[in-house]
This record gives sequence, structure tokens and C-alpha cells, in this order.
Amino acid sequence: MKDEVLDRILATEEQLLPSSGFAASVMDRIREEAAAVPPIPFPWRRAIPGIVLAAGVFGWGAVELTREAVSVMRSAQSVPLHLSASMLRPVEGIGWVAIALGVSLASWALSRFMTGDSRLL
Amino acid sequence: MSTTAKNATEGLADPDLASVERVLAGDAAAFEGIVRRWQGPLVNMAWRYCRDRARAEELAQEAFLRAWRGLVHWRRESSFSTWLFALAANVFRSDLKRVPAVNIPIEDIVEPARPASQDHDLQQKSRHEVVRRAVLALPLRYREPVLLFYFHEMDVAAAAHTMGLPVGTVKARLSRARELLRRRFPHLADEHAAMEISASTTGKEA
Repeated sequence: MKDEVLDRILATEEQLLPSSGFAASVMDRIREEAAAVPPIPFPWRRAIPGIVLAAGVFGWGAVELTREAVSVMRSAQSVPLHLSASMLRPVEGIGWVAIALGVSLASWALSRFMTGDSRLL
Repeated sequence: MSTTAKNATEGLADPDLASVERVLAGDAAAFEGIVRRWQGPLVNMAWRYCRDRARAEELAQEAFLRAWRGLVHWRRESSFSTWLFALAANVFRSDLKRVPAVNIPIEDIVEPARPASQDHDLQQKSRHEVVRRAVLALPLRYREPVLLFYFHEMDVAAAAHTMGLPVGTVKARLSRARELLRRRFPHLADEHAAMEISASTTGKEA
């Protein structure tokens, strides 16, 4: 088939007229959308103090964890064969803090998901 | 592009801008002007993508809704029609990926039988329809350039704008698409030549 033949066939398409109620139906949908209540924006002003506080707690927690880890490592170097009970306690504490952080993060992510906001912040 | 679309592009560019300004200022009813001006081209464009009237109207409606929601994002670097067609093409493309218009591979489409001397026009119409439907069986990367090239009245640049692709890419894909169609319908050219000769002979005799 030559290109001219193909051009002739495909270029001579009959024009379709939209049905009489098409524009009205589109405008109905538009009006519905326009009348819909816009989604409530996230209350950043109210949330910022909480976010700052949480960041502070996380930061403090991280510093404490690092300090504990460093002290445990130093103690482990000096007593290589066994760890005393007093030295194990901070290590157990680290585990609980990590679990608590994980649970907090998961609950925060779940609440964001349930409100339909998939963005990170 | 259809004649309606071309007229709307050439003569009514300002009404679009005015309507957009009014809509952005909060007058939702002003969008009706845009719908009335562009309903024909958009329904026809959707029809070329799916060849199903009801679905074409649904797709065009969805395109108008997306345009309404996205009016604020129209940066006015291109004409309103260019933006609208590109947006509509995205809507149609996504929808057809979800629910394809034709599931028959192009290899399975049978070339129409040679026309009989009677019912000539009717047969020719149905044969042309088979060729048009065969376009829908092309892989999407070749199908869309063909659909948009003929929708835009064989304007490669306009088709490229609508697809957001370079003109060279569109030309290459068009060429490949034609090659696929030529392979599928090898006898159509001869038949057309024969028809033209018979038509001119009949004309002279009359």
C-alpha cells in the first residue's frame, strides 16, 4: 500500500458530533467539583511546636544513644571476655528506645495514611 | 486536526484566554465556553484512539475535567489548544493502557477481500474502516503518531507537540507504522489504482 493511499484513507475520517447533552454533562461535573469542599490543609502553625519538640527529643535520644554506645564499646575493650550486668543494662535500654522510635514512626505513618496524605511531610 | 479544531485554534485564541482568566478568578461557569469550543475536536480525537462513541465521550469528559483541575498549571508558553491536546492525549493514552481498545494483534487482521463491482461505495467504506481499525492494532508507540498525525491534518509538528516528542522521533515512528500497515495490506494500492481508473472512465463516459 502506498503512503498516498494510506493518507487518503486515514485523513478522510468522518467528523463525529458530540451528543447534544455532552457539554451540559461536562459542566455538571465541573459544578460538582467546584461546589465540593476543598480538603482541609494540614495545620502547620499548630503542628510546628510539636514537630520542634519531637525533633528535640529525637536529637537528644540520638545523642544519648551514641554516648551510651561509645561507653559500652570502651568498657568492652577493657573487659573483653564478659560483660557485667551493669554494663548490659544500657544495651538493653538501646533496644527499647529503638522499638519505641519504630512504633512512634509507624503510628505517625499510619495516621498520615488514614488521612489520605501520602506525602512524607 | 479537524477543521473545527483548526478554526477554533486560529480564530478563537483570545476567547480561550479570557475564559481561563475568568475560571481562575472563580467563575466556574466560564469553563462552558471552553467546553463548547473544544468538545468537537476532543471527542473526535478520543474517537480516533478507541473508535467507540460512548467511550470517546467519556474520555473527552475526563480530559475536560483534568483541564479544569489543571488550568492553573497552564504556563501559557504554548497555545491553549496545544496544552489541551497534550493533556487529552495523556488521559486517552493512560485509559487505553488500562483497557485497550482492540486486543487483536495486527498480524491477525485479515486484508479485506477485493471489491465487487456492485455496492462499490459500501464495500470501499467498510474496507477503509478495516484499515483504520488496523491502526489501533499497532503497538502504542507507532499507533499514537499515526492517530495524531491524521487528527492534526498531517501536521507532524502539531502531532509531536501533542505527544511531547521531537519531530524526528514522530517521523521515524510514522514511517515504521506505515511500513507495518503496508505489509498488512499489500493489495490495497493496486485496488485503489483500479478503482480510480474505473471511476475516471465512468466519469468520461457520462
